[in-house]
Amino acid sequence: MKIVPLGNDGIAQTCKVLQKGGVVVFPSDTVYGLLCDASNIEAVILLQKIKNRPAGKPISVFVADIAMMKRIVRVHTSQEKILNNILPGPYTVVLPSKQVLCRLLESEKGTLGIRIPSYQPITQLIHTFNHPVTATSANTSGHSPFYSATSFLKSLSQKKRELIDLVVDGGDLPKNKPSTVLDFSASHVKMLRRGDVSFKDAYTVNTSSEDETKKVAEKLLQEALQKQGEKPVVFVLKGEMGVGKTIFAKGIGKMLGIGSVISPTYVIYYEYTTNHPFITTFIHCDFFNIEEENEFEHLKLQSYFKKGTVLCFEWGEKAGALLFDLQKKAHVVVVSFTHKGLDKRELQIESYFS
Amino acid sequence: MIILSIDTSCDETAVSLTNGRRVIANSIYSQILIHKKWGGVVPSLAKRAHEERIDAVINETIKKAHFDSRNPFNSIDFISVTQGPGLAIALEVGIQKAKELSIMHNKKLIAVNHLEGHIYSSFVENSGGNPVRDFSFPYLALIVSGGHTTLLIFKDHLTYTIIGETIDDASGEALDKGGKLLGLGYPAGPIIEQLSREVGNKEYYTFPRPMLKSKDLQFSFSGLKTSLLYFLKARKQDENVMQLKQIASSYQEAVFDTIIQKTKKAIKQTGINKLVVGGGVIANKRLRNLLRALVKEDKGSVLFPPYPYLTGDNAAMIGIAAHYKAEKNMFVENPDDLDRIPRMSL
Repeated sequence: MKIVPLGNDGIAQTCKVLQKGGVVVFPSDTVYGLLCDASNIEAVILLQKIKNRPAGKPISVFVADIAMMKRIVRVHTSQEKILNNILPGPYTVVLPSKQVLCRLLESEKGTLGIRIPSYQPITQLIHTFNHPVTATSANTSGHSPFYSATSFLKSLSQKKRELIDLVVDGGDLPKNKPSTVLDFSASHVKMLRRGDVSFKDAYTVNTSSEDETKKVAEKLLQEALQKQGEKPVVFVLKGEMGVGKTIFAKGIGKMLGIGSVISPTYVIYYEYTTNHPFITTFIHCDFFNIEEENEFEHLKLQSYFKKGTVLCFEWGEKAGALLFDLQKKAHVVVVSFTHKGLDKRELQIESYFS
Repeated sequence: MIILSIDTSCDETAVSLTNGRRVIANSIYSQILIHKKWGGVVPSLAKRAHEERIDAVINETIKKAHFDSRNPFNSIDFISVTQGPGLAIALEVGIQKAKELSIMHNKKLIAVNHLEGHIYSSFVENSGGNPVRDFSFPYLALIVSGGHTTLLIFKDHLTYTIIGETIDDASGEALDKGGKLLGLGYPAGPIIEQLSREVGNKEYYTFPRPMLKSKDLQFSFSGLKTSLLYFLKARKQDENVMQLKQIASSYQEAVFDTIIQKTKKAIKQTGINKLVVGGGVIANKRLRNLLRALVKEDKGSVLFPPYPYLTGDNAAMIGIAAHYKAEKNMFVENPDDLDRIPRMSL
């Protein structure tokens, strides 16, 4: 067993070991992982041995991008939009396997867990190796994962240590939780494990035109509709004037088949009925004109908090107590807009789903 | 034919009594507040609390008309109400009340589109029958307000074809929000008008004219608002404060030039050079002058609402539109079925 520091050389050596069918301990965005070539059945059996992993329990794989993902699992077009939105990120997405990798990695249902981490060394490694590798955490089954290479090695018996060809030491990793597992193989997305982002996941999207902002809105709505279940979907739009909140709402409207969305600033909110199969009502609010919180009493927005309704709150930060109420009753997506130049905007997206 | 009309499409609780085109009595809640005619009304009351004040505004209007106080509805023929567009929960209060009065007093009910009201606002007469304005169809109608910016052909009574409207912000909203960016509070339309006048309504800086290059008659103002934001951000704050009037004037000119150029295009496309204009923004004298100058080019004419209260939201204009609906027997068949249409179109 060899220990090398993380770096270009470490990545090059890892590739060599993987090609030969060896197992490598490698840092990731979450915990230290055990890597082997995902197509090499002998390597996978070796991995299972090190992990004390009973056969039949699935093992996730790292891929470089959505294109590589599509070579090994079936991705529906609608799912691809969502995946583009959340990946790279701390997620393991579960999808139906195309059975091109080692079948031992699959679940009993024939699904495969895939990760595209937001972690440069892994991305670089997979790009160099140009093939999926296993993404299981470096711990024996049923035990906690490790955040440092040395503490993991200490936990192993001498016999097992000899089964590992290479350790790439990235030092102590930040104590991020394991990835959140999202099962896309069912008709509705299910959350199998809650990682760090379980209750709230946040990420940033940059747009450089009104059309792009509208497209983000469409994607987020699509994603929310898959998760919403029995709850209404609320988009809370934050950010200063002229930052694109109404544009975003127009994107939501477009997705619901409403082409006539205009600014509701003057009237506070407009109610639209839609021809969408699951969503009957779109409520487009703008709280810019609200001066006191007691004005909300007269708006009676709570009556819209029901299944089949999509709401957009411009100047949502003013909603105060209403938002608190919402977290329990709705699937809430908070989009915070920032100016980044004349047409450029940064959208920070936080999704709350329980 | 005496009609009691209610408009609760947005902030104002408005009630009127009209006879033909003449206004017998007209009440708008915010005006009543200033007069403080009855106790118990707290000025800080939420703007949209229509439910709490609708009865008081109706009673006030009836009182102003000097109808028999015991049986005022003996003097009233029909009830009319704004069905949309507007805030759902606000529209609902007026509609509910109108239905209730219609059923209780066995009066026929007339549903009016708020935009129709703005179109007819130039034809409202005071109780003495002034001003005298005869209809001479067709008109090109322009509505410029906080919530709407719409161009339409007003072909005959109650016959309209929309030929252009805003795809994002309304022109009044563009002015109000521009003022907010300039630090003038909200709504800032009237302050912008004043500041611009002080520096001669000139264009000191050039802001983009949204949608002017497009061949259609659609309006868009959100990009203009954003360009003002970037203009202000790119300069020192002191400079912006020093040049406040010049910036306000330049911005107002950009908003109005867009309205003028689109209207000019509409005149050309339709061949109609008689304009009627309604909505809160037409209270602005600069815009009136620009429109007068525009129709002069084509030897056309332009009509504005004859009294200031008719530019903003009010029920008098609803009563006049309702009058023409009553003449054509356009009543609500079953008052119980009448429902609000928040995004009602013409």
